[in-house]
Amino acid sequence: MKFEELKQALVAAAERQGLKEYEIYYQAEESISAETLKQEISSFSSSNTGGICFRCIVDGKMGYASGELMTEEAMEEMVANAISNARAIDSEDEVFIFAGSSAYAPLPEREVKLIDPAAVRDTALKLQADHYAICDKVADGTQSAAVGAVSEIHLCNSKGLDLSNRVGVSFAYSSVVVREGEEAQESFEYAVGETYEDVKDMPAKAVQSALDKLGATTVPSGKYNVLFSGKQFRSFLSVFSAAFSAKNAQMGLSLLAGKEGEQIAAACVTVTDDPMREGCPMQTNFDGEGVATARRNVIEKGVLKTLLYDLTTAKKAGVQSTGNGQKGAYLSPVSIAPYNFSLAPGDASEEELFAAVGNGIYVTECKGFHAGADAVTGDFSIESAGFMIRDGKKAEPIKSFTVAGNFYQLLKQIDRLGNAVKWGLPGGFTVFGSPDVLIRDMSVAGK
Amino acid sequence: MITRALAESVLACAMSGGADFAEIYGQITCNNSITMMNGKIERASDNLVSGVGIRAFLGTKTVFASTSDLSPEGLFKCARSVAAAMGEIRGDVSVNLTERIFPNIHPVKILPSSVEAKVRADILRQGCFAAKEADPAIVQAMGSIAGVDHTILVANTEGLYTTDRHVRTRMAVSAVASNGSENQSGSDSPGAGMGLEFFDLVNPADIGREAARQALVNLRADYCPAGTMTVAIENGFGGVIFHEACGHSLEATSVAIGASQMAGKLGQQIANPKVTAIDDGTIPGAWGSVNIDDEGHPTQRNVLIENGILKNYMIDRLGSRRMGMPMTGNSRRQGYTYEPTSRMTNTFIANGPDKNEDIIASMEYGLYCRKMGGGSVNPLTGAFNFAVTEGYLVRNGKICEPVRGAALIGTGSEILQNIDMVGQNLARAQGMCGSSSGSVPTDVGQPLIRVSTITVGGR
Repeated sequence: MKFEELKQALVAAAERQGLKEYEIYYQAEESISAETLKQEISSFSSSNTGGICFRCIVDGKMGYASGELMTEEAMEEMVANAISNARAIDSEDEVFIFAGSSAYAPLPEREVKLIDPAAVRDTALKLQADHYAICDKVADGTQSAAVGAVSEIHLCNSKGLDLSNRVGVSFAYSSVVVREGEEAQESFEYAVGETYEDVKDMPAKAVQSALDKLGATTVPSGKYNVLFSGKQFRSFLSVFSAAFSAKNAQMGLSLLAGKEGEQIAAACVTVTDDPMREGCPMQTNFDGEGVATARRNVIEKGVLKTLLYDLTTAKKAGVQSTGNGQKGAYLSPVSIAPYNFSLAPGDASEEELFAAVGNGIYVTECKGFHAGADAVTGDFSIESAGFMIRDGKKAEPIKSFTVAGNFYQLLKQIDRLGNAVKWGLPGGFTVFGSPDVLIRDMSVAGK
Repeated sequence: MITRALAESVLACAMSGGADFAEIYGQITCNNSITMMNGKIERASDNLVSGVGIRAFLGTKTVFASTSDLSPEGLFKCARSVAAAMGEIRGDVSVNLTERIFPNIHPVKILPSSVEAKVRADILRQGCFAAKEADPAIVQAMGSIAGVDHTILVANTEGLYTTDRHVRTRMAVSAVASNGSENQSGSDSPGAGMGLEFFDLVNPADIGREAARQALVNLRADYCPAGTMTVAIENGFGGVIFHEACGHSLEATSVAIGASQMAGKLGQQIANPKVTAIDDGTIPGAWGSVNIDDEGHPTQRNVLIENGILKNYMIDRLGSRRMGMPMTGNSRRQGYTYEPTSRMTNTFIANGPDKNEDIIASMEYGLYCRKMGGGSVNPLTGAFNFAVTEGYLVRNGKICEPVRGAALIGTGSEILQNIDMVGQNLARAQGMCGSSSGSVPTDVGQPLIRVSTITVGGR
């Protein structure tokens, strides 16, 4: 069944079952990918999937049901399940089927289509050939891949709202293994865009970064000045972005609750959320409830300007939704999440940052955030690897140590910021970015 | 879902690009979940995942396509794309399938999706309310109850045509304790390959009380000191140490391509002789058990390490081709959009020779980890990390004050040699394990163990 037919079937079922307020959210995705091993394509994949979420208000409660089986009977059952689910709810939070914002920012004019399978294969093979050509320490286990995906979203509801968006993203990665004697090291680099324009330098970068790690040793435990690579610091933003959710604040799960207007970070800290960042292939002008999205500073010069709201939390707080009620996937409930969420860059070049550290540690790898960081308390203790900084210069590689601290204190301790933001891979419409960040006197556990 | 005759034609079509093997994996999964916050049921939802993944091999080259369109046209379109990506289209190959039914060793009494949301919500309430009522310092209790009813179909050009159905139930409660200026959390989330009869075995209120207990302990805990120490790790979720430090490195996913620290070490002493480790997908009703794996191979009890000697890896079909070793019933995938690969099921360290009290008594100074959080590993280097969610300092053989914020880091090969005492209270605990084939339910487990020296991240 096509989306228009499914929509009609759902509307008919909803009317038959006496519903007045309901919403239909449809998402379809097409993707292709090629992976290589040694110098060959080891795996080629394609997928073509779609799902529908139906939600409705029954006696002031919102029930959800969703599925991928696109038959008329399945639509009827979906509506019945959503009603039964609504009846299980006893939360008194006000829920909404939204009539629409007064204006939506224009989406960029572009034709979004799935990247050509030949380009996907060629890119993956070329990357792989480049890896092996760079250096004879590059070993089997090295992989390259290229991926292309197109996603289409429709949101329509009983209030007459009818929105849609179509986005396409391509990315490629290099996962390099190098060996020297008994030692093996690896590295991971990727590039994201609408096409594969930016992959040229990736193999050289990936191989170099794996080679740089050979011979790493452990540091003695102690207090160090730590320079976090932007690639790692953005992971902190990712974990602790939960603290900016008005939902968490209202639940007593965020230490930022009630701090709007207060200085919560060093004066050099500005954090921006931007749903339509130029150059990001995943842009949206409406959220998962149909509210218009907008760019805003969440922290400005260290002052918390706003939390992120959806319709329900905004109503509770007596403010407007910030358009951050997202659906991670068609089946996900609406939950508050940022878009392009980034720490604004400062003015320091890499050399200036190393000089400012003097003697300390450059952290280029952090692992295990899901376990080692607590979004509620802000505490973290994270497995890390990187390089010593000696006399203002990057020195020998180091590994197997942890860096520990508290995110909320960290925000106040930020000393210098690099001049370039490094962006991560988008997960839906959410992506994190950060420049390099210098923090003094952090606890490091090593040998 | 897909008749035998249709599966035969679709497989024939998938083979037409010159493949030497093709497979259909069909899935219909009914997920239901209810969440509770602030003493109120906040969300109830149902989701029906349905689709098919078609895979073809030519030697060790694989082509994979998936679609949520289960109509015959959708299936043939998917099969044609597999054939076209494999190579030049030749004539169809003839495929004959024989239906096979494997024994069900995980019977289910009460299917969660057949019970009204309101009834499931009542079970969840018992857990969340018990957490909230445990102590005035508990300011928030949240929880969820989830049921999964997962039916798969596997058909392949070796002639197999079979289906299996797997049901899981899980409840999670987390509690936040506050002293006004600081928040600390605790959680518990048991589950099983069972229906709602699981709650005859596990009292929902006990789940809430356990979450509250941990939050309260952490509220009075100071930061854990940093450095290298002797560490005792308690049973149950403590087994995450083996899962991360070694289990992932024994999956064909990384072993077969040489990207594992454990590649080429069969028959070698890789662990202390007190360590025997097992992956067992056949434990009745266990969270990580299934009757057959996602390639239709019955699950097995695989001894991975026996008295410290590496005995076996966990091997899926592609891994078997790459390594020239037999499959072990470990091929798993989250669903039809994921290509399956070798994964753990219920993985644990077996009981050892040491008395538990002797283990604590042997420690002059160190860390006793009563509850562990999750962790991660790099299979190539074996470097791992995991979080201690409830820990205590040990002095002169006695468990003393609680400490928080600790992480354990190290490398798999080192820690396996450093597990120098193994106790006798084996227990398993439930987790979701994420890897290239998605998120799958796995049990971790062990008795109390002692690690002679490990880096403790703290401050």
